[in-house]
Formats: sequence, structure tokens, C-alpha cells
Amino acid sequence: MTTVFDTKQDNMNTGLEKTLPDEKNYKMIAENVSVYYDGIQSIKNVTMKFRERSVTSLIGPSGCGKTTFLRCLNRMHDMTKNARVEGRILLDGQDLYSKDVDPIYHRRKVGMVFQKPNPFPTMSIYDNVAAGLRLNGLRDKKILDEIVEDSLRMAYIWDEVKGNLKKPAMELSGGQQQRVCIARALAIQPEVLLMDEPASALDPIATQKIEETITELAKEFTIIIVTHNMQQAVRVSDYTGFMYLGDLIEFDETRNLFTQPKNELTAKYVKGQFG
Amino acid sequence: MMSSSNQKRAEYRTLFKQNVKGRLVVDKIVMGVVFGCVVVALVPLGSILLEVFKNGISALSIEFLTQTPGAIGSGEGGIGPAIQGSLIIIGMSSLIGVPIGIMSGIFLAEFGDNRLGRTIRFFNDVFMEFPSIILGIFAFLTIVLILGHFTLWAGAFALSLIMFPIVARTTEESLKLVPLTYREAGLALGLKKWVVTFRIVISAAKSGMLTGILLAVARIGGETAPLIMTVLGSSQFFSGFDAPMDALPLRIWRLSLLPYDSAQMQGWGAAVVLIVMILAINIGVRYYFSTKGKRSGLVSKIIGGKRK
Amino acid sequence: MTRLIDPSLEKLSLIMSEMGDLSLQSFVLAIDSYIYGKNTVNQVRDISNEISKKYFQVADLTFEILLKYQPVADDFRLIRSSIEISYGFSRFGRYAYDITQVRDMFGDITECDKSWLVEVSSKVKAMIKDSVTYFAELDIRKAITIQQNEEFVDKLYKERLPMLINSNNTKCALAEALVLRYLERIADHAIFMSDAINYIVTGKHKLAKQLFPNDL
Repeated sequence: MTTVFDTKQDNMNTGLEKTLPDEKNYKMIAENVSVYYDGIQSIKNVTMKFRERSVTSLIGPSGCGKTTFLRCLNRMHDMTKNARVEGRILLDGQDLYSKDVDPIYHRRKVGMVFQKPNPFPTMSIYDNVAAGLRLNGLRDKKILDEIVEDSLRMAYIWDEVKGNLKKPAMELSGGQQQRVCIARALAIQPEVLLMDEPASALDPIATQKIEETITELAKEFTIIIVTHNMQQAVRVSDYTGFMYLGDLIEFDETRNLFTQPKNELTAKYVKGQFG
Repeated sequence: MMSSSNQKRAEYRTLFKQNVKGRLVVDKIVMGVVFGCVVVALVPLGSILLEVFKNGISALSIEFLTQTPGAIGSGEGGIGPAIQGSLIIIGMSSLIGVPIGIMSGIFLAEFGDNRLGRTIRFFNDVFMEFPSIILGIFAFLTIVLILGHFTLWAGAFALSLIMFPIVARTTEESLKLVPLTYREAGLALGLKKWVVTFRIVISAAKSGMLTGILLAVARIGGETAPLIMTVLGSSQFFSGFDAPMDALPLRIWRLSLLPYDSAQMQGWGAAVVLIVMILAINIGVRYYFSTKGKRSGLVSKIIGGKRK
Repeated sequence: MTRLIDPSLEKLSLIMSEMGDLSLQSFVLAIDSYIYGKNTVNQVRDISNEISKKYFQVADLTFEILLKYQPVADDFRLIRSSIEISYGFSRFGRYAYDITQVRDMFGDITECDKSWLVEVSSKVKAMIKDSVTYFAELDIRKAITIQQNEEFVDKLYKERLPMLINSNNTKCALAEALVLRYLERIADHAIFMSDAINYIVTGKHKLAKQLFPNDL
């Protein structure tokens, strides 16, 4: 049974390659992003770059804007009243917020997993995972079966549910529900996966499984995760961004940010001296 | 230091009301009062049901349920046309009122968080309280008079006007009860807003919406005034959409006005039939919708299942 | 606001500074015993054992802190370096004990020339003192003085050791050789400690350059 430690070891060895200057490896770039709610600026001109096949975590005290920022990356703020977003979000070089981009199309490239597991309550496990596909027009049963199995495997939950995919998703435990939600997000074949405190509503064992899943997924996807658990950020991520009151205070390789933070505020926060 | 804070706490404890026994008694009294109010509310209901069944059950027979009314005062014949008419008019009204009500409810819930939505909601609520006789007169003026004869469409129209505010309101409330997170999950999958609303949110709100629709059906099942002005009532079975038709409330009314005992008894019988019919529609619809894939438990299906 | 980890960090720093003071004490006694012929073997041995005990205390405490608190940033760097620093102190004590043993084993060494010892022992004493202060104050300038002193000791060691081959008094030559060796070792450990303390302040390891100068 692999543990988080085994896979993290692999990541740490390959981390060195990723730090070599190779600018082309940025999957997603958020440039000068600002968010205004009712005229009040809540995200202040933040720029962050995300490498391919890496895990980036966003940390910071409550209310610092990390979730708000995360939601910019897949244009979830289009739904929010009185929210205005400025700046550019480039996915593979293309600006998500430009006029000729259909947000729906891009939300399929940038998947999201939420804090509290939210499988669709009236659907079975299979239907949940297939929802994004079916409701987007894919009907071919054979392909659906394939993709559903592949997604559940990637989410490390295939073995637990393969016996009864018709079971209502709500009958699973919290950790299993969350992994079904991850499978659901993966089914639409995204390139980037956003996770908003994916394990915060789960017990420690379920959390561990989610972290293992994240580390495995990072071999294929670009993952950006918001977390308030600093040890989780240390375990799981290659890069970490520290946000405070809407500003990006520091962004660095996780190892460096947590052992030799360059900014005093960062040091204070990670040591637990406030927040 | 420690002992003084312990002392303080001991002091504080003495300040709490100590009359536990007394408070238990108050508790029981309050419970009793509350229970008593419930009983007071249910007693008239129960006695009505009892009265109706007691008086009407003897009138029931196959003949009663299927034949046309006999000569006035003869005690023969039945309320067949009235039953048929009620079912038809309920069906037609639902056909008009339910879809409009659901669409309005969806609009208000998903797109109604603005001035326009608030205005519509306000008028909706006012409309719900409208006296049904006025709606009947309105249907009379706009359809019956123009066409020159009584017609089922006028009746269905009038009843749908009663139905749709109820359906709209309950649909809106049920949709609002569905947590935002499911909509967000749907949107995050790259689904269009209307797909999220119709395929995901509505199936989660199904139970509440159904309750609303059945409430509206029960309401119109017993409406008399609008039907007087639009359908008039008759002694014949259904004879075309543009002819008068009988309905249970109308029949009950007519029968109750006659001075004959036999007519009175038939009236009670019709009342029993009406109550049983509404009950049957309720149970039937719930049973049908709940067997679509959920687990067993007849009682829970009828009552409506747990709210998770 | 005191964090849960703070009392443990304070305890750690306290033990380490005690180790530092003890190691300084042991060194002074050892040099005195050599220069003035005083018998301080037992004293120095006791002090050295005391330092060793504290070394194990530090090791236990460090791992307990890691287990409980998962420290980060400069807390983490402190913990990381504590082991090396406390090991350094324990070595100072050990080598001090070894120096007293020289006098003990060789017996009467009053005839040997000890003038060379005066300057170098004061420099080594300064190095030990500086290590203790450097750890306490994290003043990076101390690293420079430690470096300078180490170069002096190293130079002297490389100069005098070959000279001893031609000495006519075997006893004195051997005694001097041993003491020179121990002094050189103490100086070396002081440099290790200085680098470990440097890591606390800057987060960078410097050792590679020193250990493997030919690789770079």
C-alpha cells in the first residue's frame, strides 16, 4: 500500500527538474487579477503562474481571498451578483476572460471540487460521474462506461464502488462522496483541477486518501488547491502561495516557503503566530 | 487564585434557578397546552370527516356511482356525471395551470432576485388570495359571454387561475431549498444554466414541487363558485367541450338545496366521493413518483419520505 | 500569544546554552591542567558526561517537538540545527577530557615547552565562546571571527606537527602532538557548528564548500 510518503518522495526528486527555468511549462497564468464586490476590491492585483503537472496550494487566514481567487480561475464569479473581475487568466496562452471565449467551454477544461462533498442527491454513483458527460450530450453507453470507470479509478475509489454503481451516491461516506465528486470532475477530461479545501469536511483517514489521490493525479493534471491546513500544503504541494487580505504575499516552492520564508508576514503565519 | 475562581463558580451555580421540580411541572403544563391546541384544531376536522362518512356511506352503491341523476326527489339515480366531470375539469385545469405555475416558479427561483422578480412575487401572492367567485366571473366575462355558451375551457381556465399561484409559490420555495452547492457543481462541470436547473435542481426539488401541485389539485377539486359561472352543471355525462358539464361540488350544492331526504343523503354520498377522490389522487400520484427507483416502504412513500 | 511550541523551544535553547557554558568550562579546566599541571581529570570527566547527557536530552526533545508540532520556518531551522550544534558541544567536552587525559597518562610534563599553547588555546577558547554567543544571539558576524580563528589553528597545526618529528624529547613531542590534534578537532567542530547556526539564520547550508573543496 503506498502512503503519502512514498509518492511525495518521488515528487521531491523530480521537483528539482521542475525548478529549472523553463517558462513554457506554465499551464495557467493569472495576470493582474483583481476582484471587486459591490465596488470594494477584495483581490488586489494578483499574479500567479502554475506549472503543468504540479500541485500548487494557496494558504492564508480566513477571508484572505484564496477561495475568491480560485473561483476566478474557472469564471465562477459570473454567477455572483455584484462581482467584477479584472485581469487575465491564460490557459495554455488563451485568455479565459476575453470576449470571444465561451465560459462554459472553458469550465470543461478547468474542473472544480468543492469543500463539502456535493454529489447530486437524486443520482446514483454512475449517474453522478456521468452527469457532466450525459448532460453535455454524450450518449454512447460504451464510452460512458469506459470514462466512468477510468474516472473512478483515478479518484482511487473504483474498487470500493465497482460492485454497485447504481447505488445512490448519498449513501456513501463523506470521504467516498468526495472522491466521487473528484471522479465527476475528472470525467469531463479537464486539464486543470481546482480544489477548494477538498478534505476539510473529512475525517483523518479520508483526508489521507484524498491527499494520496491528489498526489497521483498531479502526474497528469495541473492541480490548484486551497487549504487552511498547512501540514497538508507541505505534504501535497510543489508550490505554495500565501495570501493575506487579498494580496499575494509570497509564492515559492513549498519546501522553501515553509523552511525559509522570505517575507516576515509569511513566517509569522506559517509558524502560527496569527491567523 | 484557583480557590477564589472555584468559589466564584460555586457562587454562580447558586444563582441558577433551583426549582427543578417546579420547572418540570411548567414544562408539562406547556406541553399540555400545546397538545390541547392541536386537539382543538383537529377535532372539528375529525368530526367533519366522521359526519360526512356516517351520513354518506349508506348512499354509496355501484348505481350511485355510475348513473345519471334520476328525477328530482325520487331518490334514484346517481352522480356518475359529476364524478366524470370533476375528473375531467381537474385534468384540464392541471394541464393549463401546472406547467405555467412550474415555469413561473422556476423563473422566480432562478432568475427572480431582482425588482421584476419581487414584483411578480407580490402579485402572485395577492392573486392567491383572490376570491374564487371573482375569478369565475372573470372567466365568464372573457370566455362564456364572448363565445355565447358555457364551455369546459372557461371552467378549466378559471380553476387554473386558482392553481397556478399555488404551484408557482411552492415550486419556487422547493427550488430555493435545494442548496446552492448543487448548482455550483453543475456549473463547474461546464453545463449551461438551464440544463443545471432542469436536469439537476428540479429532480432534487421534485418532492416539494409535487406536494405543491397536489395541494393545488385538492384546492380546485372542491371549488364551486367558478364552476357555476362557467360550466353550469348538468345531468348528463360529458357531451363535448362546449356544453355544460356536471362536477361534484356543483352536484353537492344542488342536492343540498333540495328539501328531500333522499336528495340530502345523495348529497352526503357525493361529499364522501369527493373526499375519497382527492385522497386517491394524492396517494396515487405519490406512489407513482416514488416507485421510480427508490426503496420500499409504502407509508413513507405516501407521507413523502424523509427530508435529508 | 504563546504558541504551544514556544515553551518547548525555550527549553531547547536553555539546555543548549547550558551545554555551551559547560563545554567552555571544561575546556578552560583542561588547558589549565596541561599548562599548570593541575589534576582536573575527574572534574572535566564529570562535566563531559553532563554534556553528553544533555545531548541525549536535546535529541529526545527535538524529536518530540517534530512529532507534536510540525514546526516550520525558523522554528524548523532551529530544530534542524540543534542536533549538530549540541553534538558539537558534546565534542568540545569530550576533547577537553582527552586533553586532561594526556597529562594524566604522560605523568610529569613540566619540562615540556608550552609557550606555543598559550596563544592557540586562547584562540580556541574564543572560538568556543563565540559559538555559544553566536547561538544565543544569532549575530552573523561571529561566524567570521570563528572562521578566522579556525584558520589560525589549522595553520599552527600544519606548521608544528611536522616539526615534532625532529624533536629529541619523545614524551613532550607525543604530548604536544596529541594536544595539537585535539585543538584542531575542536576548531573543526566549531566550524561545523557555525555553519549549522548559519543555517538557522539564512536557511542555507555552506558545508559542501568546506568538505569537498576539490569538487567545486
